[in-house]
Amino acid sequence: MSPALIAALPFLGALLPGLMIRAGRDASALVTGAATLLALIGLLTHLPAVMRGEVVTAQFTWLPALGLNASFFIDGLGMLFAGLILGIGLLIILYARYYISAQDPMGQFYTYLLLFQGAMVGIVLSDNILLLLIFWELTSLSSFLLIGYWKHLPEGRQGARMALAVTGMGGLALIGGMLILGEIAGSYELTVILENREAIQSSDLYMPALLLILLGAFTKSAQFPFHFWLPHAMAAPTPVSAYLHSATMVKAGLFLMARLWPVLSGTEAWFYIVATTGLVTMVIGALIALFKDDLKALLAFSTVSHLGLITMLLGFGTPMAAVAAVFHIINHASFKAALFMTAGIVDHEAHTRDIKRLGGLRRLMPVTFAIATITALSMAGIPFLNGFLSKEMMLEEASHTVWAGSHWAVPALATLGALLSVAYSFRYIVHVFLGPERDDYPHHPHDPGFGMWAGPALLAALVIVIGVAPWLVEPLVRSFAGAVTAGDLPDFHLKLWHGVTPALYMSGIAVLGGAALLLAHGGLARLWQAAPRPEAKTIFDTVVDSAARAARAFTDALHDGAISRYLAIFTVAAVAVAGISFLGGSFAAGGRALLAVEIIPAIGWLLLVVATLTIVAVHRRRLLALVLMGVVGVMISLGFVYISAPDLALTQLTVEVVTVILLLLALNFLPKETPRESGAAIRLRDGVIASVVGLGAAALIYAIMTRDVSSISQFHLAQSYYGGGGTNVVNVILVDFRGFDTFGEIIVLGIAALSIFALTEALLGGPVSRRLVNWRYDMARAGDRHPLMLVVATRALLPIALVVGVFIFLRGHNQPGGGFIAGLVVAIAFVMQYMASGFAWAQARQNFHYHATIALGVLIAALTGLGAWFNGRPFLTSDFGYITIPPLNEFEWATAIAFDVGVFLTVVGSVMLALASLSRIARRAGETVNLEPMDVDPSKPGGRSERQER
Amino acid sequence: METAAEIVIALLLVVSGVFGLVGSYGLIKLSDPMMRLHAPTKATTLGVGGVLIASMLYFLVFGGAPSFHELMITLFLFLTAPVSAHFVAKAFLHRNIRREEVVPARHGSVWAGYSPAEDAPATGEADDRVE
Repeated sequence: MSPALIAALPFLGALLPGLMIRAGRDASALVTGAATLLALIGLLTHLPAVMRGEVVTAQFTWLPALGLNASFFIDGLGMLFAGLILGIGLLIILYARYYISAQDPMGQFYTYLLLFQGAMVGIVLSDNILLLLIFWELTSLSSFLLIGYWKHLPEGRQGARMALAVTGMGGLALIGGMLILGEIAGSYELTVILENREAIQSSDLYMPALLLILLGAFTKSAQFPFHFWLPHAMAAPTPVSAYLHSATMVKAGLFLMARLWPVLSGTEAWFYIVATTGLVTMVIGALIALFKDDLKALLAFSTVSHLGLITMLLGFGTPMAAVAAVFHIINHASFKAALFMTAGIVDHEAHTRDIKRLGGLRRLMPVTFAIATITALSMAGIPFLNGFLSKEMMLEEASHTVWAGSHWAVPALATLGALLSVAYSFRYIVHVFLGPERDDYPHHPHDPGFGMWAGPALLAALVIVIGVAPWLVEPLVRSFAGAVTAGDLPDFHLKLWHGVTPALYMSGIAVLGGAALLLAHGGLARLWQAAPRPEAKTIFDTVVDSAARAARAFTDALHDGAISRYLAIFTVAAVAVAGISFLGGSFAAGGRALLAVEIIPAIGWLLLVVATLTIVAVHRRRLLALVLMGVVGVMISLGFVYISAPDLALTQLTVEVVTVILLLLALNFLPKETPRESGAAIRLRDGVIASVVGLGAAALIYAIMTRDVSSISQFHLAQSYYGGGGTNVVNVILVDFRGFDTFGEIIVLGIAALSIFALTEALLGGPVSRRLVNWRYDMARAGDRHPLMLVVATRALLPIALVVGVFIFLRGHNQPGGGFIAGLVVAIAFVMQYMASGFAWAQARQNFHYHATIALGVLIAALTGLGAWFNGRPFLTSDFGYITIPPLNEFEWATAIAFDVGVFLTVVGSVMLALASLSRIARRAGETVNLEPMDVDPSKPGGRSERQER
Repeated sequence: METAAEIVIALLLVVSGVFGLVGSYGLIKLSDPMMRLHAPTKATTLGVGGVLIASMLYFLVFGGAPSFHELMITLFLFLTAPVSAHFVAKAFLHRNIRREEVVPARHGSVWAGYSPAEDAPATGEADDRVE
């Protein structure tokens, strides 16, 4: 199976659980498991090749210009991690089926889980580091959803937010680091980067890249001082903790360090930063874990500690330490996932996971006890279990590591870490399962069903098998570690007995010391509780709150809700930038000869100036200002006619009509006068800004128009007919050359119309609704809302207007017109009917769904674009040709017309939706629905029609 | 023939120009809005009509083929000018002339521009809406 497909399978599978949940929870779990299993099988088919040292690759070019390719590869390291992710994922899916209660949305859970799984597999199989970064961010997002799965719990939401903030911040740093790395290596392909060790380590940018990448890895893997988010993420359901926080997500940081180990490690900076952080994390994590009473918190901090251990091993930079790190990754994943699951079983059965309320579960839950004991002893590093082997290797490596000239610092601290680890592991067994049986458990505990303990039992069996017969996994470890060290492996053998070595002494000290520490636990815990400790959550909240306050203050200063403020900031900034570049550059007047001013454009220009100045003078009277805006619009369309731009003129004119009508309707419910809100000084300032910007824009236009600018127009003119099949260049540009822009624009138009609808919806739900219900119009209302003359005239005009619309649409490709203008014309034809006889009356007679019309338009345009793919062309490539139907002349056909239909429908739907929204406001304000087309019909006795309903 | 056509076209253009001028002048000169309404609607309609006829004649005689665009323009002009004038008048009545000042409607009919409450003052105030 292609590596790309392995990464894609969980994402594809994520669509299913939400659907299958209707068929029951078993079906949902089954499809989730099936997707995972399929990916796992696909992965394992490559195992023999990977064991032989081959690398399986799959590559698709995506955005080659950015160096972003969808390239995947499976080597030993990727195989190890992908295997862990999918294998443990399978057990977690089984476990979660019985853990998640019937009240919780299980389909959602499995969907999130698969999204997360896909993102993780994506990280470990990516060959392209940009792709890796995308998956990296996806894990942060999907883990946010998983941690906050119990949305009703504030701890869950806060924990999720904290995890997202910390790992997201790290992700940001990582992006920087990876980009630098890619720049140094000259490629974003990992396989290339990994071969450029010398170039990278000798580069000046090595340090910044290293720091940024490590920041990303440390935050993800909860290394000190970023370890605090992991315990808070324990608010997640236990399957999530077992999966994300033992086996997978927190290991992503380790994966990254292991992946880049060949190029980044071996320097002094790497050793001191990584090894020291790992060592400190290992000791501090273990120390805190010892004093946690919450089972999951204990396991969370023990995870922090073990992650520190692995980080330290990677930091040592020697191949043997890398082998130990890889081996411990396998072992830790097996025993820690099982431990989390047993903690979840205890919580599930006893309804508490507070160690102080537990104890004596040995007889009540024998199966759970057995699993928990095996795995916890493995965590403690007791012989014949896999934890012992990797811990011995770690101590062996630590025993001959020199830190800043000191021969004892690392061994001593590593022993201390191991000792604390033994203590909390024993505590997990002794304080939970041993001791007298109690009679005050919140719920009487007993072993769960097979489905729930099958997963951890399998892992416990693995723990024993690897512990007793390590040579079985030796080839695997050799292959995995070989990928980390890029082939440079020492000759090693995994075995139980290494003889009497320093590591054995250290191990012995750790076990005995740990047991002694547990005996003294009661007294030490009291001391620990009394000692002052920094509370990470309080510090984090303070930092986040002050950052949010600062951001809010900044935003409020810029966006205070007054449009004049935005415009002032925007325009002043634009003028400032333009001014700087003007003063900095050399400017010469344009060389084009000026045209003589003719009388007709001069009159038009004068009208425009007068209308604009009048708007400024009378802008407080909104109705008048609107009329003057209409005048400006009409003058501009005349201008377009004068300079031979009929398409623009038609568009401008129709847009103007629609705008004025909609604004008039809106004005119905707004004050007719704008109150005076600012003082003379502010108005003067605003006037100066406006004048400067206006004059600046005019100067810019003048500068452009007085010189010969080479533009793409010549290409468009030349290609319009031969390339696009139309003689109307404007339309060919819209539907062909720049079809993608148009496609984006109609989507934006549709979104704008939907926003108008949504805003209206929100208005009608809020306090505005009460005001509307008690609305009194501030102007006297006419006796006939739907006058006879208007009704008759628009009735006569409707067919003409529709024919005009169709005509303009059909000729659009070759002569002025097209879908956009036709849409506006048809919309105006409809709007006239609605104005004449009232919205509800007209709607009852031409009832089509406006939302659906918009959607249909966008869909048709998209499908037309997609059609090009089936002919092996890029999106939105248009085609055209000629056919002859015998009695008629030759016809041209073009796919662009289908695209134009999409534009047309979107425009009609958007305008009508805006109109419908305004009419909803009017209805709420008490506008009644007339049952007759006109209010006063002289042909009927009595004249006035009184038939109305609310 | 062509000379005669030229004379007729010129005459039409001059006449319509005069109508246009008079109409525009009247718009400024006349005092009352109701009177002012007459100037642009009547005079300008005639003025534009003259130009349209002149145009048709021109294309018939000198353009080589009859032109019918002008008929469409005439149609729309005949449709829009009276309707808009009518609405200006209605709006003026509605805003400035009280119901009592106009003559009563005959034949059991009503004044459409006035609200029913004004039309039949006996019914009293409209009921308050409170919800």
